[in-house]
Formats: sequence, structure tokens, C-alpha cells
Amino acid sequence: MDEEGVPPTALREISLLQMLSHSLYIVRLLCVEHIDKNGKPILYLVFEYLDTDLKKFIDSHRKGPNARPLPPSLIQSFLYQLCKGVAHCHSHGVLHRDLKPQNLLVDKEKGILKIADLGLGRAFTVPLKSYTHEIVTLWYRAPEVLLGSTHYSTAVDMWSVGCIFAEMVRRQALFPGDSEFQQLLHIFRLLGTPTETQWPGVSSLRDWHVYPQWESQNLASAVPALGPEGVDLLTKMLKFDPADRISAKAALDHPYFDSLDKSQF
Amino acid sequence: MEFDLENPLTGFEEHHIDAVSALFTAESDHTPSFLAFKSTDVRFSLRRHSLSLISQAQSSYKFNGYIAYLAVNYIDRFLSRQVVLENKPWIVRILVIASLSLAAKMRNIDLSLSDIQRDVGLIFDAQSIHRMESLILATLNWRLRSITPFSFLHFFTSVFQLGDSSLTQSLKQRASDIIFSAQYEIKLFDYKPSIVAASALLCAADELIPLEFSSCLGAISECQYLNKEELMNALAVMREMLIKGQESAVDAESCSMLTPKSVLECERTSSICETPTNQDRDNMKKRRLSDLRDDQTFQISQVQWC
Repeated sequence: MDEEGVPPTALREISLLQMLSHSLYIVRLLCVEHIDKNGKPILYLVFEYLDTDLKKFIDSHRKGPNARPLPPSLIQSFLYQLCKGVAHCHSHGVLHRDLKPQNLLVDKEKGILKIADLGLGRAFTVPLKSYTHEIVTLWYRAPEVLLGSTHYSTAVDMWSVGCIFAEMVRRQALFPGDSEFQQLLHIFRLLGTPTETQWPGVSSLRDWHVYPQWESQNLASAVPALGPEGVDLLTKMLKFDPADRISAKAALDHPYFDSLDKSQF
Repeated sequence: MEFDLENPLTGFEEHHIDAVSALFTAESDHTPSFLAFKSTDVRFSLRRHSLSLISQAQSSYKFNGYIAYLAVNYIDRFLSRQVVLENKPWIVRILVIASLSLAAKMRNIDLSLSDIQRDVGLIFDAQSIHRMESLILATLNWRLRSITPFSFLHFFTSVFQLGDSSLTQSLKQRASDIIFSAQYEIKLFDYKPSIVAASALLCAADELIPLEFSSCLGAISECQYLNKEELMNALAVMREMLIKGQESAVDAESCSMLTPKSVLECERTSSICETPTNQDRDNMKKRRLSDLRDDQTFQISQVQWC
């Protein structure tokens, strides 16, 4: 950085982040500090603080003394806020590409959910590499990304939203794969192995192999606590063909949210 | 990915209809304003000097017009927000160099800053330039994806529904030229980027497809995001600017020796002659008009070099 000042990529990414942090559903970038440390310039990004994240929040409902399902109205509200945030990113031409419960910050008291870890991912390639030694999770990755598609779109985020929705209901991950191959098998076992009719072009994707031919299971059985409207929305989020997958904006108008008081958002 | 002034929000290739309302919502964050300052404020002369240096540099190095436009946008927004300013030649120079450097980084283009520095007559070390960059970044809150009038061209031309893509292209082209010159017109300074874009397209329509001007005006006035009165005011100012531009182009032809340097010198002598006692409103107006004239001259001299 000392040769050229602030690197162009950082400049473009941070200015993008700054533009996105207008939304209530995106973690706000409070300030950027450009500090010289022993002659080495360092950039610090300071974000607003929220007390927990959705992963910890779900964990606290799964185990321990307070284990209980998440209230359906809270799931509905969190999902709505998540779709709001994702719609905001997408309307600004930004894909998140790594939506997962750990990246969703939660204010327990106020029932607020915000998307974090945004924007900087754009400079890197998908799949995102982890810079802390944390294992990169595949659980929320869309099938087209797993199959090596080079043209992915906003639909990759909607797949993740669907997985997160199901996880809030189940209190455990919907597709907990531990390798890219296993991840695909998890998906195919529940939703059936995709066919060319269902998803035109699937068998010509780079990493497509011959897979066991599974029939699709009833999705409702994977989320028994969810009503029919919720199952319908989840089904639309987990469509194989990215072109068929519901958009964040359309999801906001889905009947699942009819009973939600939207005036508060 | 480089920053595209015509498409500031989206990383997608196509324009997104949802992005339109986002543009209108965010534009005021990116609009400089000198309304609060007296016409004797040092900002006005800092701005004039900066613009003159940038057009000099641009004419010598032929870099992309958007880089110059963006750099001026950063300078304007920086000047709108900075408190302590002195009109020292080195301040203008380092401001210009750092803004050009930031604009080039956003556009992902390598600019030879050392050559430009030699031309502006002062060489700063890399550290000083980086410190100035940091100061600009902090002042602009890192909001470097400026929403400019260019950002609205696509949306407004789609409102016209011309159907003919080559015609749309020529309209956009002409409107872009007008937007470039409008940056020099201080009277248009306090209008929102969307209003400047709409006025520029209407002026372009008036020139290229005069018969369809009124239907274009009708279509654009229907737009829910625009204040019609503001639009009509801006349109009048812009028309005046274009007429004046033509007139002075004719004048300039007769004395074609006008160079950026001579313009700068003219401007310097005029400010020396000015007495600082004129504080009342009338005189302020006069001063503003003389500012305009200076800026107008800059614009013409710039046109000449192209």
C-alpha cells in the first residue's frame, strides 16, 4: 500500500460498502481509519455492534437450559428483514455470495437482523477463501456454484436465504455437507436429482457427474413446524434452475408475510 | 471492476430497474453545495484554479473525460465540507493531484502523476499525496462512487421511449457533452444530478429532435422523482449557458490565442482588482456573474483544445 496509497481495489470496495450501508438491514460501516503502523499503512473498517449472530441465536434455542423452537412470528420477521437486506444489495448490483447464519447479526432485544460481511468478498473469487482459520462452510452454497457454473447471479444468494429459512425452523442445517460432492448429494437426496427438463443446461455444467437418481422428497417433511405458505416460499427459494428461483423483491410480497405487520420495517 | 459513472450502483452489466429509486434516494449524499458560502469565499477561487489545472492536465495527457469529471466532483464535495481553507497555490495543486489520483483509481486507469505534477509546477512526495488522499477520503466519508448526472442518462432516455437505439445513443452523447460543460457553470452547481441530467437530455432533444421536444418534456415531467419547477429553472439556466457558449465561441475565434494560462492570468488580475468591501447582496450577485463569466471562459478554452 505504501507505493500507491490506498489500493484501488480497497477504494472501490469500501466505497461500495459505504453506499450499501444506507439500509437498516445491512450492518452500518461507521468509519474507515487509515493508520500508519511502523511505516506500514493499515486500513481499519469499523462497523456497528450487535450483540449476537443468527448462528449463536439458533444454537441457544437448540441446546442448553432454554432449548425451544424459535417463535414462528420471529422467524417470519427475521426472514423478512433478511429479504429486505438482500433486495437492497441486489438492487445495487451487489451479490453477497456468502450468506450464512454467522454473517447475520442479531439484536435479541429489538428483534433486528442485519447482513454483515458484505462487499469485500466481491474482490475475491467464489468460493470465498477463509482468511481466519475457520472452515469455510458449504452448507448454504447454491447448486450452480457447487457444479462449477461460471455465470452466477442474484439467485445464488436466494438459495442461501432458503437454507437459512429452513434452519431457523429446524434449528439445524438443512444440507450439512462436508465436501462439495457430499453437499450436492445432500441437496439431491431431498430435492431429487435435477433433470434437464427441470434445469436446462445442468448436465453441461463444468463439475456435473453422473449422480444416483433420487426422487424428490416432500419438502414439508423436512420443516414439519412450517405452515403451507412457508413451505411454498421455501420451495420457490430452493428451485434448482436459478432462473426459476424467487427474487428477494418478489419474496417480500409472498403470502407467507401477509400476517406480518410490515409497517414496522 | 472499474467504477462506471453511467452505472454507479450496479456491478451487473444490465441496468436494474430497482436501482433507479436507489439512485434518486442517494443522490443528495453526492451533491456538493456552495449555497451557504459568500461569493467572496476562498472556495470559489480554489475551485476555479483547480478546474483550470485539471483541464490543463487533461489537454496535455488526454486522459478520459470521466476522470477529470470525477476529480472535480471530489474537489467540489471536499470544498463544500472543509472548514479551514486558504488560497495557497500548493493547496490547489495537491488537491488536484490527489483527486485525480483517486478518480483514476476508481476508474482503474494508470495515470502518470509524476508527469502531471511536473506540469502543474510543484512536485510532492508520495507520502504527502497519500496524506491528501486520506484527507479527501475522510471528508467524503469514502463515498467515492459519486452519483453524477451521467448516472441518470439511461433511466431518462428510457422514459422518452424513442425506440430508435441510434437516436438514443446520439441524444446520450450530446447530453454527456452538455453535462461535461455544465460542471463549469456555477449556476447549475446547486441543482441535483438528476435535474442536471434531465435538463441536458432536454437540451439535446431540442437540438437533435426539435419536433419531439415537447413530448420528451411531457414524459420527463411525469417522472415521480423530479420536481418540475426545479427542472424548468435548471433547463432555463442550461439553455442560457449553451447560447452564451456559442456566442463566446464566436468571440473566442476572433482572439483564438486564449490559452488556459492566459485565462488563469486574466482571472488572477481580475481578482486583484476587486475590492473586498462589496459585501451586500447586489454586489454578491454581480460577483457571482463575474464568476460565471470566468468559468465560461474556462469552458471555451477547454473546447478549443479538443
